[in-house]
Amino acid sequence: MREETIKQDIEKRYDGSCVSVQRRQRIIVSVPKDSVFSLVAYMKEEGFGHLSFITCVDWIKEGEFELVYHLASYQDGIHAMVKTRIDRADPTYLSLVPLFENAQTYEREIHEMFGVRFVGNGRLIPFLLTNWQEMPPMKKDFDTEAYAERMFEHE
Amino acid sequence: MNDIDTKIKERELTLYFGPQHIGMVGNFGITLTVKGDTIQEAVATPGFLHRGFEKMLENVRYLQGFPFVCRINVMDPDPNEQVYAMAIEELAGLEVPPRAHYLRTMALEMSRLTSHLAWLWAYGNELGFDTIGHWSMVQRDYFIDLFDMIAGGRVYHMYIWPGGVRRDMPEGFEAKMRQTLDGLEGSLRDYDSTFFNNRVFRKRASGIGVLTQEDALRFGVTGSCLRATGIKRDVRIEEPYAAYADLDFEVPTMTDGDAYARAIVIRKEIEQSISIIRQVLDKLPTGPAWNRVPNPFKWKIPPGETYVRMESARGELGAYAVSDGSEKIHRIAYRVPSYPHGILALETLLRGMNIADVGHMLLSLNIAAPEIDR
Repeated sequence: MREETIKQDIEKRYDGSCVSVQRRQRIIVSVPKDSVFSLVAYMKEEGFGHLSFITCVDWIKEGEFELVYHLASYQDGIHAMVKTRIDRADPTYLSLVPLFENAQTYEREIHEMFGVRFVGNGRLIPFLLTNWQEMPPMKKDFDTEAYAERMFEHE
Repeated sequence: MNDIDTKIKERELTLYFGPQHIGMVGNFGITLTVKGDTIQEAVATPGFLHRGFEKMLENVRYLQGFPFVCRINVMDPDPNEQVYAMAIEELAGLEVPPRAHYLRTMALEMSRLTSHLAWLWAYGNELGFDTIGHWSMVQRDYFIDLFDMIAGGRVYHMYIWPGGVRRDMPEGFEAKMRQTLDGLEGSLRDYDSTFFNNRVFRKRASGIGVLTQEDALRFGVTGSCLRATGIKRDVRIEEPYAAYADLDFEVPTMTDGDAYARAIVIRKEIEQSISIIRQVLDKLPTGPAWNRVPNPFKWKIPPGETYVRMESARGELGAYAVSDGSEKIHRIAYRVPSYPHGILALETLLRGMNIADVGHMLLSLNIAAPEIDR
């Protein structure tokens, strides 16, 4: 099975990586934060040429943000999720723009919604929000109700 | 040429092409820097429809999310329900009966048809050719009547549900559906002769907004925009969901990558959708149309994560869902098809283009602003 071959390849090359084949056409790769860039570059050469999207999950209890890079291979029809955890208190991470140009917009959104700064992305300007003064709204500790009451005060 | 003319031609102006502009479809904005009639720089400014659905979904119970997700794309609501339902089913290990898979396929293809027909109206309207729009919107309305019949809602259906669909087909639905499909198939010839094969449209769309194969791949473009560059890629084939594995259909492609190629791909997809719905009606299995879901107020889904994907009218639509074992979702992120071609591809294509082609390009790429904002 192609999924198993990829799993073995990655585990051999990257120390500390944990690859699981979730089901057919799905691979989850968890890696320490310093090997994401080289892993994604390696996977790109192995056929994962489509960066589907990037997303962020707030694990507030652990004090960490989890960045999930979704890569797809057109040849094998496999969708891989590369995950890494970064510090929630000082969320800075390396941009993926040198590898995938479309990472720019996804990083721009994560910067706005979670406050993660991507070093190397030159376009972290406001994206969906206008004149936003509060904390990044997708963080788990952002209180939607309190914000709405403050913003749209009612008697 | 006198001095004033030269000055006007060389002056750089910043123009805001926003939701109030007559050439803009939907709530979207582009800041253009122009010199004369030529665009020097374009910056997409989305956000007019940001409703924070992903945040709201974290604050409600699983089934309460359905009224939100269908609103992610106004023109093509059902795929968003499908990915949400698929994500919940995978996390909770819920089975879907075969009949429900077929009914879902039908709803998804109906949604694709309504989206494509609305696009045809908007595109014709944008190019100053209203006749085609009057025709296609009538056909679209017949499908909306069918949605009303099966789901009880015209625009937002909330028809696809974890474990199946919300209702089975009512009496008389199949006959009405076949009649509507025949009607649409009959009008396709008129669409061809008046619009797609029209010399004026061919001249207006050929060679404009050429998205090369390399650019499409570089920006992560999917769907009809990618297929118009010659890459045959469709999630329905790559990873069949619902009943697509049992059905026989083609994936139309073109090679030019220009506005005309994109229009023809969409035109051919209408034909395929008609054929798919007919096959669904022919092969529809008997049996239940849904499996019972647990009490929605006490439904806790085991911890886990999943990514599900499908082909919406605009391209690859996906959802990454994470459950922490509680009765509310921990995180759901939507991968929407309009995102890559609505921001980066659009900005690249507009550079060097004439101002008159901005609206044309927005429709040619089939951008849905609500999808980008969510």
